[in-house]
Amino acid sequence: MKGAGVVGVVIGCALLAASAIAVQGQVADASERLKKGPDPNAAKPAIAVADDAELAYCTPAFKQVLQRTLNACGLIGQDARRGCQPADVKTLAAISDEDFNALFTPLKDRGAVIQFDDGSDKLDDDGKKIIEELWQDRRGARYFFIVARASKTGGADLNRALSHKRANSVLFDLTDKFHDPDLDKQVGLLWLGNEFAQLGPEYCQWNISRKGKPCTAEAINRSAFVSWVDCQL
Amino acid sequence: MSKPRSAWWPSALAFVASVAGLVFAALSTWDYAQHLDRQIHDVHCSFIPGMPAEKAAENACKVAMYSPYAAILRDRYWGGVPIALFAVGAFAFFTAFSAYALLGGWQRPRRAAQFLAAISLTPVAASAVMAFLSATRLGHFCKTCVGIYASSALLAGAAIAMVLVEGREIRLALAATRTDAPRTGPSGVPATIVDLALDETPPPRAPGGWLLVPTWLTVLALCAATPVLVYASAMPSYASHVNACGKLESPKETTGALLRVTPAGATQPATLFVDPLCPTCKALHQRLVAEGMYDGLDTTLVLFPLDNECNWMLDRAVHPGSCMVSKAVICADSKARSVLEWAYDNQEKLLGLAKGGDLPGARAMVKARFPEVDACIDAKETNQRLIRMLRFIVKNHLPVSTPQIYLGETRLCDEDTDMGLPYAMGKLAPGLVAAK
Repeated sequence: MKGAGVVGVVIGCALLAASAIAVQGQVADASERLKKGPDPNAAKPAIAVADDAELAYCTPAFKQVLQRTLNACGLIGQDARRGCQPADVKTLAAISDEDFNALFTPLKDRGAVIQFDDGSDKLDDDGKKIIEELWQDRRGARYFFIVARASKTGGADLNRALSHKRANSVLFDLTDKFHDPDLDKQVGLLWLGNEFAQLGPEYCQWNISRKGKPCTAEAINRSAFVSWVDCQL
Repeated sequence: MSKPRSAWWPSALAFVASVAGLVFAALSTWDYAQHLDRQIHDVHCSFIPGMPAEKAAENACKVAMYSPYAAILRDRYWGGVPIALFAVGAFAFFTAFSAYALLGGWQRPRRAAQFLAAISLTPVAASAVMAFLSATRLGHFCKTCVGIYASSALLAGAAIAMVLVEGREIRLALAATRTDAPRTGPSGVPATIVDLALDETPPPRAPGGWLLVPTWLTVLALCAATPVLVYASAMPSYASHVNACGKLESPKETTGALLRVTPAGATQPATLFVDPLCPTCKALHQRLVAEGMYDGLDTTLVLFPLDNECNWMLDRAVHPGSCMVSKAVICADSKARSVLEWAYDNQEKLLGLAKGGDLPGARAMVKARFPEVDACIDAKETNQRLIRMLRFIVKNHLPVSTPQIYLGETRLCDEDTDMGLPYAMGKLAPGLVAAK
């Protein structure tokens, strides 16, 4: 009987000691791993960080123009100026008129050409409607571009000023309508007057604000092209 | 008098049951302790002790391990103290005790079997409670846990059999003493010392002293407490880890796109980024509810569907259909929680339909349950609101992953969303845990 009791005590002590040692060891090992952190060599799934959209048309050439424009036209950095005028764009883009326009070709369905009356910077209702719809269809885009032009009618200075006003008309419409405090950080303005990157009549096939009305080479340039740009920079 | 033999099988059975219980409890504890490094590990989940750990991300044993019922003192220690640790100590005691019972044979005091039978009902009762919780709250039976339940039942059965067999043996022995014992010599002369020495009738089993029971109880308590005390004293400090996962960069959203879920009495501001069809979001939601914490959260709900139908951050849908379900949640607005919880409850079916290309089928399910939101799902405003939620996520440069929960502006680490949840909540939102 005594022998059985001794055996029981020995087994109990041994199991208890083994359990305690094992538990202590497991916790200590976990503490050590906690201190070291996850194995840096272990394959770890990379988790992307939420960012703006980056669509296929965001070619290096497109993004270069975009970056230069954003830097020089007041959207990025602390520059007090806002927008770029024809001379700036010519210098910044450092590409031909045709190449400049070609960059925007992928935005044919994403954007719209807002048309104005001759010599006017006043938006009509159709124009406002399209601008507002486009603004709300932001999706993952980071920047909204307004590229305003003027027709060949009249002098360069007059048209430069007119295209500037047209760009501002679109901007003010967005400001009045949406009161978005971040709007200044999103909208890029370019006004090209009649000196740079004039649109050809083929742009009448794009999403224009005056559908069903005569669209000539002159009419298509009395306009502001507006679009969200789905590119990361 | 010959040395009588006692039936050995109940003691042997108790020994086997105790060893099995010890192995299952040790495996369960080992799995638990592995996770104290806040990393992801495989978990043992088999009826056969010693089988390798399973890689399945959400096996039943992991569900049990992450549940509020797996451990105690969970707001005091990261992960708490696993219940299985008590079982380790207790089964170590039962193993030793049943070995003693087995080897003690006829000379073992009656009180030993009676004690074992009575005390072995404790693990049976604990197992019954845990099994009930598994069935009713978790909806899963963890195989390792079932191993412990079965071992407990077997141990109790063996101990009871030990008492019954002993009783029968004693009755037989007493009967033999009354009928066969030579009280007088062959010629009617009173029995001599020699006669009694030649008597082969076994004496009744001794009952054992009364002090045995409190002594054994004390030893059992010591055995059960020792692994627990060792575990708790060896645990590392997690204080610096729980608030090391960043903050919301831009917590303000000015367009009113985000949803609010504010149960009565909720005081702790929280921002929750979830995908209604994400299983991990569902698990976190269930844990928050089970812990009684969800109702204390004044939640800003941001839907983050991992579905490229509306989310430009992905090139393919991780959870197809979640854009549509997210819009349904948005449309419910003040009843967003109901739709979200319904989506969690029907997640597998909705995902199955959408993954099989039957998005209209998933949509029909939503419509059948919440007909009032159906038209709103397609509205332009709903899409814009969802996009504004996604823009809020971009503005905060969050990882493209769900769920994410911020208490105030401090992110609850992913590592603290399961076992460490009550502890981390206690650190980041002490009022919430105290109010529970």
